[in-house]
Amino acid sequence: MNVLEVKNLSVQYPGTEGASEIVKDISFTVEEGGITGIVGQSGSGKSTAMLAVMGLLDGRASVQYGQITVNGKAPAPGRNIAMIFQDSLSCLNPSVKIGRQITETVRTRKGCGRKEAAARAEELLETVGIRNPALRMRQYPFELSGGMRQRVVLAIALACEPDLIIADEPTTALDAVVQAQILQLLRRIVRETGTALLLVSHDMGVTAAMCRNVYVMHGGRIIEEGTAEDIFYDPSEEYTKQLLKDAKGGRLREKEKRNADDPESGEEALIRMTHVTKIFDADEGVRDVSLEIRKSEILALVGESGSGKTTAARILTGMLREDAGRLYYRGRIPQRGRRMDSFGGKVQMVFQDPYASLNPCLTVRQALSEALDAAVRLGGHDAGDADARVAGHPLSEQEKEERIRKILALTGLSYGDADRYPHAFSGGQRQRIGIARALITEPEVLVCDEAISSLDATTREQILELLFRVQRKIGFACLFISHDMHVVRRISDRIAVMYGGQIVETGRTKKVCSDPWHPYTKLLLEAVPEPDPVRAKKIKSGPVKEAAGTDQSDAAEACCPFAGRCGYALECCRRERPEQYAFGDRGVSCFLYSDEHSGRRSGAYRMTSQI
Amino acid sequence: MARYTCRRILTGLLSLFVLITVTFFLVRIIPGSPFQRGGVSESVVEAIEQEYGLNEPLFTQYLSYIGGVLHGDLGISYQDPAVRVTEVIARAWPVTASVGAAALIVSLILGTGLGILSAVSGRRSVKQVISAGGMIAAGIPGFAAAILLMLVFSVKLKLLPASGLLSPVHYILPVAALSLYPAAMVSRLVSSTLETELTKDYVLFARAKGLGRRQVIFTHALKNAYLPVINYIGPASASLLTGSFVVESIFTIPGLGREFVGSITNRDYTLILGLTVFMGAVVILVNLITDLLCAWLDPKTRRAYREERA
Repeated sequence: MNVLEVKNLSVQYPGTEGASEIVKDISFTVEEGGITGIVGQSGSGKSTAMLAVMGLLDGRASVQYGQITVNGKAPAPGRNIAMIFQDSLSCLNPSVKIGRQITETVRTRKGCGRKEAAARAEELLETVGIRNPALRMRQYPFELSGGMRQRVVLAIALACEPDLIIADEPTTALDAVVQAQILQLLRRIVRETGTALLLVSHDMGVTAAMCRNVYVMHGGRIIEEGTAEDIFYDPSEEYTKQLLKDAKGGRLREKEKRNADDPESGEEALIRMTHVTKIFDADEGVRDVSLEIRKSEILALVGESGSGKTTAARILTGMLREDAGRLYYRGRIPQRGRRMDSFGGKVQMVFQDPYASLNPCLTVRQALSEALDAAVRLGGHDAGDADARVAGHPLSEQEKEERIRKILALTGLSYGDADRYPHAFSGGQRQRIGIARALITEPEVLVCDEAISSLDATTREQILELLFRVQRKIGFACLFISHDMHVVRRISDRIAVMYGGQIVETGRTKKVCSDPWHPYTKLLLEAVPEPDPVRAKKIKSGPVKEAAGTDQSDAAEACCPFAGRCGYALECCRRERPEQYAFGDRGVSCFLYSDEHSGRRSGAYRMTSQI
Repeated sequence: MARYTCRRILTGLLSLFVLITVTFFLVRIIPGSPFQRGGVSESVVEAIEQEYGLNEPLFTQYLSYIGGVLHGDLGISYQDPAVRVTEVIARAWPVTASVGAAALIVSLILGTGLGILSAVSGRRSVKQVISAGGMIAAGIPGFAAAILLMLVFSVKLKLLPASGLLSPVHYILPVAALSLYPAAMVSRLVSSTLETELTKDYVLFARAKGLGRRQVIFTHALKNAYLPVINYIGPASASLLTGSFVVESIFTIPGLGREFVGSITNRDYTLILGLTVFMGAVVILVNLITDLLCAWLDPKTRRAYREERA
């Protein structure tokens, strides 16, 4: 029995050069009580098709279809069909309390009174795994963590008591651990309430972990359909094979060898911070963090949102001033004052949002030459720099032009793009511009703050490859910040895992990923679903973190930040904070590796994983 | 929140003090004396000035004035010593405030209504008519609008009275003249912000959860769209409530604005000062109310106020 039947759905948008067809004659069904997946790149028409099914497209779109029925009836949003979206922050009204946003749905659906609706809302919040629902109902969306907001959105969808929920990229904005929790919650909801789920995603791993039947969408068409096993183990279309290949990730590394052979690289610390603490009123502070970026290495900084990754990076680059601790640049303490300047423009950043980080009023050429001018100006201050390629004299117009031409070629853009404005480029191309802008000054350290997180799988792959290739060619050091273990594992030489404002584990990426020591690292690694239905479905989600920001309170100061969620927590974990225990080039902040716990040992003792 | 409000009231009082000081000395710089006019001899003027203490050093006069203000005494009018300044305000302000409040309500209702209509209407023509009308209304200066209205409705058509405030009918023309500009501004603000809000994801989600069109617009989008409107209407209502010199003069309304103009031509020191202090207090109070309203609408602002450290 099928809950949803869609036949011959097409959507067109009128454009300046005739109508453009976004969805081209697609048909699909969703089984009762099951999870069906639609997978495809961004821009493949998935979301448009879903909105068309809901009847929520705006007036400009023209929709044709043979049939769209939910259990034989026309779809009615909020009655027999509900939808949840990717970004839980933007789809909840920022100035209306959580409680009201749920109760209004309940009241619209059932026409019941205030009290009854409030009781039902609390019940729904409990169903989606929110503890203390009465408190949450009095809060506003921005006071909740991302995972909790997505639970609220799901509670609202459930309040409609629909036959079918369409989930459009429900976990894309979340980190792996929270993603695993939400996916498990979705599965439980389907099992317990019998509501069918249509899961739309670009993530092959998520699709593999969840779905019984899968449709692959590309360029507005459904190009392949079948059971999850068919699609993932025996894909027939070239495009599906390519998607799977991108998701599994062709190995990017011939680098392990190179690093081992070359004694010079990867040893000299360019920027080092020791015992740095920075506390904010809210969360995202860091506590007693020591980290170094070595010459010509890619150092990955991973952790969930709010774990202090960005704060640590901003201190490292001099954008933020630390409360306590020390920062060294090539072994010297950078002079006080505007510290960004004292690096002499040798530290550059690539940001997460390629749309927001380019000035829409500047052409590519203007943006690049502006960066170049700034670097020349700053370079002059740092006369002691032996490696002063840009220092001192201003560049002539020809030299500048030459640099721009070179950098555009390097980042895979054409020289003709130089006079175009950012709006003329796609997300991936903009990120290339962002990288070009950072690299044109020939920095020593490049900081990529979630630089590929907002891109879809295939574009992400291209940008990742570009970064990797350019890094190997030029040899700058790179601090790569990400919440995605999958990506980090492939690109980085060394890895630092952050949790609750602390670095819980550092070491060579290969070693850390194959043999995680800290319980959180292990959780993080296990939470990433692989594009393999059998293996991905085995993922268990870790314990739920109660509330965002609470573990930075004064009471939490004196214990291990992970103690509340840790399956291995000892009594001492709740009493005091573990220091960082170093073993060769690995470091771990966990009492399991302390002398007291692992026993006294000689200098030659080889530590192994305690979990 | 209480802490924030207290702090704002204190800074308000401080700015009021600065206002009094600056106005006090500025007024004294205006050449001439309150009692100087044709046919009055120097010696008589001097005698009267002595009577009112105007011969004393400026700073002593200033201190005694401040002392009076602290006791709620704004002094007596030099022009008409039988009346106290507070009495002038008590007589004139209700007139001004009633016209101003009516204009405020009219412009809010009209502006919001037209703004919503323009934002949600699918028809291009509706949008264009409202936006063109708003542009014209905002472009006509207040005095021109007042004279035009008077010319058309009372002189030509003889439908409405042109001056005074004897009956509710008398309110129509001055209120119309006063509310023209703010109504146009509110309508433009509401339509542009509402249009932006309506494209946001939470509106889509509200529709996906089955809410009616009306509920989506009024309880969801409008609440967020109204923030900039409140920020505009705050200062605007302060100027409406303290009276328009021009409109009050044209329609001969015995309000604060007219008193103010008269007091300056008469060099009526105490009246100028008293009116300035009063208007300043109204402006400060209205701005405080605006900020509290914003905080009430926007939980983020509210939290920022609450967490503010002194």
